[in-house]
Amino acid sequence: MIDFLQMVTSGIAVGSSYALMALGMVLIYKASEVPNFVQGEMALLPVFIAYMLIYTYGQSVFMAFFGALIFAMLLGCFLEFAVVRRAKNPNILGLIIITIGLEMVLLGFVSWKFGADQRVMPFPISSYSSFMFGNVYISTLDLLTLVAALVIMISLFLFFRFSKLGVAMKATQQNETAARLMGIRTNRVKMITWGISATVGTVAGLLLAPVFMEPYMMWDPLLKGFAAAVIGGMTSLPGAVFGAYIVGIVEHLFGGYVSMEYKAVVAFAVIVIVLCIKPSGLFARHYVKKV
Amino acid sequence: MKNTLWTVLLGALLVLGFASAGYSEVGVTDTEIHIGQWSPQTGPAAPWGAVARGTDAYFKWINANGGIHGRKLVHHYFDDAYNPAKTIAGVKQLQEQTGMFAWASGVGTACGLAVRDYLMENKIPWVGPSSGSRHWVTPPQKYLFNVYPLYLGDAQVLTEYAITKMGKTKIAVVYQEDDYGKQGLEGTEYVLKKHGMELAAGVPVSLSDTDMRPHAMRLRQADADAVLLFVTPGHVARVLGTAKAMNYEPQWMSTTTCGDFPLMIAITKGLYEGVITASFGLAQPTGNVGGVEHINDPRLERLAKFKTEIFDEFAAPDERWGYTFNAGIGFVEPLVEGIRRAGRDLTREKLVKELEKMKDFKGLLGRISYGPYDPEDPLCRIGQQEIFLQQCTADGGSKILTDWQTTEFIPMSE
Repeated sequence: MIDFLQMVTSGIAVGSSYALMALGMVLIYKASEVPNFVQGEMALLPVFIAYMLIYTYGQSVFMAFFGALIFAMLLGCFLEFAVVRRAKNPNILGLIIITIGLEMVLLGFVSWKFGADQRVMPFPISSYSSFMFGNVYISTLDLLTLVAALVIMISLFLFFRFSKLGVAMKATQQNETAARLMGIRTNRVKMITWGISATVGTVAGLLLAPVFMEPYMMWDPLLKGFAAAVIGGMTSLPGAVFGAYIVGIVEHLFGGYVSMEYKAVVAFAVIVIVLCIKPSGLFARHYVKKV
Repeated sequence: MKNTLWTVLLGALLVLGFASAGYSEVGVTDTEIHIGQWSPQTGPAAPWGAVARGTDAYFKWINANGGIHGRKLVHHYFDDAYNPAKTIAGVKQLQEQTGMFAWASGVGTACGLAVRDYLMENKIPWVGPSSGSRHWVTPPQKYLFNVYPLYLGDAQVLTEYAITKMGKTKIAVVYQEDDYGKQGLEGTEYVLKKHGMELAAGVPVSLSDTDMRPHAMRLRQADADAVLLFVTPGHVARVLGTAKAMNYEPQWMSTTTCGDFPLMIAITKGLYEGVITASFGLAQPTGNVGGVEHINDPRLERLAKFKTEIFDEFAAPDERWGYTFNAGIGFVEPLVEGIRRAGRDLTREKLVKELEKMKDFKGLLGRISYGPYDPEDPLCRIGQQEIFLQQCTADGGSKILTDWQTTEFIPMSE
């Protein structure tokens, strides 16, 4: 029983970082209707900027993290404004290719600028300290990631429900033409959505970096975050978080009871099962356009 | 008279033509020897790219000191991103378009296996693959000279030390799901069987997996008191950190691959202190067992000389003076020595003959020996068979635990 509880707790712990990535993907999917494969690198570059602010410019960890989040916001806005928006009448495949291209450019830039050496980010909380509940443990950093994921999910939920900009974002996603006719600057709304998405992803990156940093560090969380977002239905914020915890818990139970060899890929089997049972994902609400 | 003039002219042209063509061996001219190498400069294995950069700086240093018998070493290395498909494409392109005399080092078992048959069928010497796989000597190949001590040997010496010197009774292995990890697991089980013991746990790690919580939990469940890690430095950092957060702290042990202590101390935020690893050289264990050595220790004369003359002069400004860079020198020293011994009249067959005569050659690594080619004897191409154990100190130094230990070759089971 202790083992089972530990596996579920560890699954929730790892699911939190997947949840942050999934939230970022869902935000962009809601705005631009594209699975965003540059999500990981939109977080990666700000994380390395934070590292540079600490070690090259002698900034404190808090200042560096704040700087990284601001940079992420600007980076997301820039990518939408300078690249995605420029595509002429893009279809979904074209947009996916654009995001994959951006992923390669940003990854190449980080590898070139910062090198391939492995490193770790300084952090106020030790990544090795933990809380023990009986024989079940959760590391302090995992707990912080869990809290961050839940706070960001609730904040985004409130933002979309009650803020003018949030409602404008929802309107843009549901019917861009109608939103534009209502006076919403849909291009600007999309740009800000990309910025927010990059910022949310960067929170995940900054919480992963105290354990390990390298140019490929965001690849696994991106894939698992994508799996979580698909399970949740791609358009639902709570769905993305729920999907992330499903992925994390299933991975750990599978690794513990069935096979450690296939633990890393079981998330994709979960996608297939969910999509067979409910093709639109568990939490999706589709807005059908009348012709 | 006219005919004689034409004959003389034709003769002169032929002589000049042969003279400018220079030398008949592929990749060798009057002034140059072309050596090829692949290495991951990008991709997940990019930290090992320093191997090729170490080799490159070493060759530049040789050239700056007059080359070998009046010829410069021309080093052609390309980025294969640790992708065997790119390795074979790059090797064929360089070999067939430019023409390499020999191939040096080359990171990665899978990448090396992708080109091994091509190089051997074309009788092209390949010296010092940058991985300790048994495939390089099973079966032995006439033109393939291994340098790196086999991972099977690391596992043997580490397990033997854990049992006999440290009194450990529950030994577990965390292993990468490839040749590196599986040969480590095999070597450990081989020694455990000799002592009538069972493996406490064998925990596989997928290369793409970054979440080590279930792995650490499996080790804790098995209550292993010594754990051998046959994984990448990044996975080692993650396993140690996760286990520490679980309050689980066995004696960690690892391989030559994770023996770069200054790097490991940095990426584990100090957790690597006390970890025991195998080492293939750089430090000098003989006469210094129990002592502590650092990579900048002036007592390590050859290393100190290379730091000043090779690294400071020829390495890129942002290069790190570390284990991997130096390994890139150590892996190719036998090749350079073989070319030197072959003399001015250099051919591939002469290089092979000279390498076969090499006995207890000592460069940056341990002693390296080969023998006349015998398809039934893997030892004729095994190169270095000795390693020693070192323990990481708080400041990234190496506490020498043993003198050189000769490892046993374990043949592939049928």
